[in-house]
Amino acid sequence: MLLRIAAAVLGIVLLVSVGAAYTAPAQEIVFTSNQFTPVEEQEWARNALLAKFTQETNIGVRFITEPEGPYVDRLVAEAKAGRGTIDVTGTLHGIFPIFLAENAVRDMKAVQSALDARKDRTFFKDLLAVSKFGDVQAFVPWMQATYLIVAQRSALQYFPRGRDPMRMTYEDLLDWGENIKQATGQRRVGFPVGPRGLYGRFLHGYIYPSWTGSQVKAFKSAQAVEMWSYLRRLWGVTHPSSFTYEFMSEPLLRGEVIVAWDHVARILPALRQRPNDFIVLPSPAGPRGRSFIAVVVGLALPRTAPNPELGTRLIEYLTRPATQVVTLQGVGFFPVSPEAGREVPTGGLKVMADGVGAQAGASDARTALLPIGLGARTGEFVPLYVDTFTLIAIQGRDIRQVLNAQAAKLEELYRAMNAACPPPDPAIRPCKPD
Amino acid sequence: MVVADAELPQVAPRGRVDWTPYLLVLPTLAFLGVFFVYPMAQAIWLSLTDQQSGALSLTNFRRMGGDLYFIPAIRYSILIMAIAVPLQVALGLVIALLVNSRFRGHSAFLYLTAIPIGISDLAAGLIWLSIFTERGYLNAFLDAAGLAAQPITFLTYEHTSWLIGAIVVTEVWRATAIVMLILLSGLQLIAKDYHDTASIFGAGRWQTLRHVTLPLLRPSLQTALIIRTILAFQLFATVVALAGRQIPVLAGEAYFWYSLYRSPNVASAYAALILVLSAAITFGYLRLLRQRELEMTA
Repeated sequence: MLLRIAAAVLGIVLLVSVGAAYTAPAQEIVFTSNQFTPVEEQEWARNALLAKFTQETNIGVRFITEPEGPYVDRLVAEAKAGRGTIDVTGTLHGIFPIFLAENAVRDMKAVQSALDARKDRTFFKDLLAVSKFGDVQAFVPWMQATYLIVAQRSALQYFPRGRDPMRMTYEDLLDWGENIKQATGQRRVGFPVGPRGLYGRFLHGYIYPSWTGSQVKAFKSAQAVEMWSYLRRLWGVTHPSSFTYEFMSEPLLRGEVIVAWDHVARILPALRQRPNDFIVLPSPAGPRGRSFIAVVVGLALPRTAPNPELGTRLIEYLTRPATQVVTLQGVGFFPVSPEAGREVPTGGLKVMADGVGAQAGASDARTALLPIGLGARTGEFVPLYVDTFTLIAIQGRDIRQVLNAQAAKLEELYRAMNAACPPPDPAIRPCKPD
Repeated sequence: MVVADAELPQVAPRGRVDWTPYLLVLPTLAFLGVFFVYPMAQAIWLSLTDQQSGALSLTNFRRMGGDLYFIPAIRYSILIMAIAVPLQVALGLVIALLVNSRFRGHSAFLYLTAIPIGISDLAAGLIWLSIFTERGYLNAFLDAAGLAAQPITFLTYEHTSWLIGAIVVTEVWRATAIVMLILLSGLQLIAKDYHDTASIFGAGRWQTLRHVTLPLLRPSLQTALIIRTILAFQLFATVVALAGRQIPVLAGEAYFWYSLYRSPNVASAYAALILVLSAAITFGYLRLLRQRELEMTA
């Protein structure tokens, strides 16, 4: 009995002393995001990015990062309840239409003009343009990313003779895969086709516009049929475990694949570990140009934010050019301000930045944007493309039949939500595959 | 006489209800109500309402049924269950009998075989992914043993049966331990007298097992079967880790419809389907058991 009392007293003393030693910040705000979900990135965000803000302002930040589904639900639920805990939120440009439809975020015009008045930062014009939906500015640009090809340097020996990897075409990519298969007996090109992989982006934002000049309108066009028969051949030189890949840095580092396509943040770990072994190349060009997706991530204040003034201070900190450079170095997301763009990165990041520059600067480059305006049904868009791929390339069904059936679903989706076509398609509403 | 008195039900004095038992079950009821009944009712309600209009409709079930992955998900869920559950029960029984024979070092063996219980299903999937992947431990072993000139790609969409094999191996490794524990506790409940009596009548080891141990173990076997079968319908993380969506399963589809397609309503339709299937199978097991009991008493 005595022993038990002694243990209890000891426990309480310990708890109290730990509590006293840890001086909590005076105020705390909640910051949610669906970015930085990998554990390493979460750790970096808490211990490097946000810790510095707390040090400077004595405002604690509770950072909650979740996959898209629960992330969106949390904010929308708070908006519906009319009472919130989230002070700042940061997510993809393509998710804001859901928030706007639920009236869950504030117009950021006032915050934007306060930031502009500081005169220490400007934002790229095209990014500001996509932050505006009608006369509402849904977010302040925070960071940007894209998807690229990364390859082992030694894989370049198999690149088709006489062709330039920095100006690669889709035919070059296929020949490259064929050469590798012939030389090594293995399929060593990889795509993130796993359930949480981002292969869907490759389909609707990269190869579709590059071959057809369109994401939706030319979904079942003659060029699309040609493109799908190409994808079938490309799948023939693709590593057969690709359907388990979600972060291409992993099979790249294992050596299972030597050429891969993925989101910059998902190939960066490989570049960091072995910066001299890998090279980053622009995504390939098709008959209709070199299409790539510009991923824009923005910051917003929820309508129900309990501490909007403190939230605004966090947004000011996160969009500071110096912080943008820290973000680039930490997780490989690129700056949204020209002031931060002047910083020259080194090591793996340099390899990455060269690839990004070559992609954006190519003469045949054209930007595709994530679809917007699908509201609550935004999540159905990408799986439609991945399902089409599964049916055609993996299950070997008839291309025209599949395209007709899938186009009908796409048409229903756009009609139901009365949404406009995403660029490079003209903004016809509702969008309809021809 | 004393024994008989003690066995008589204690009746509270007329006019006064003894609330103690009700108070004691109240926390459990409240827990079940809040965390099981309420979400279940909500899920069923969601599955029956249209996402946009909120009106009652069967749209969600129609969308579920029309989905590319629906039929394969049912097929693979049942197939994996039909292969993995009997293996788990058979293997669990063998291990339980082995441990129950109390050989030297049996407790160390018990702890070793029980380790997978403490590992989450996703972690188990990732462990076996690191074994089966092309640059994984299995290929490293085959290479070191000189058994394979080139690494073998086990996880490929071209061999569905290999994928299912990998999933079954993982599931058996992960879930046999829980079956073993249920059966072991059942075995330890069987009084030693039965075995002594059997040996007096000259029954061999095999006969004792067949005619004494197994019939007495039936309640535990039943529990293990029901738990494993229901959990087999919830199988998800190991499959996603090893086979992505190449091997769709019901619980996985519920997850994808919720998180990927952002449609809680169709996800709920899948959940309702899993509920109906699990309930039907449990009912089937219980009926089977009752008939057997009748046979035994007759």
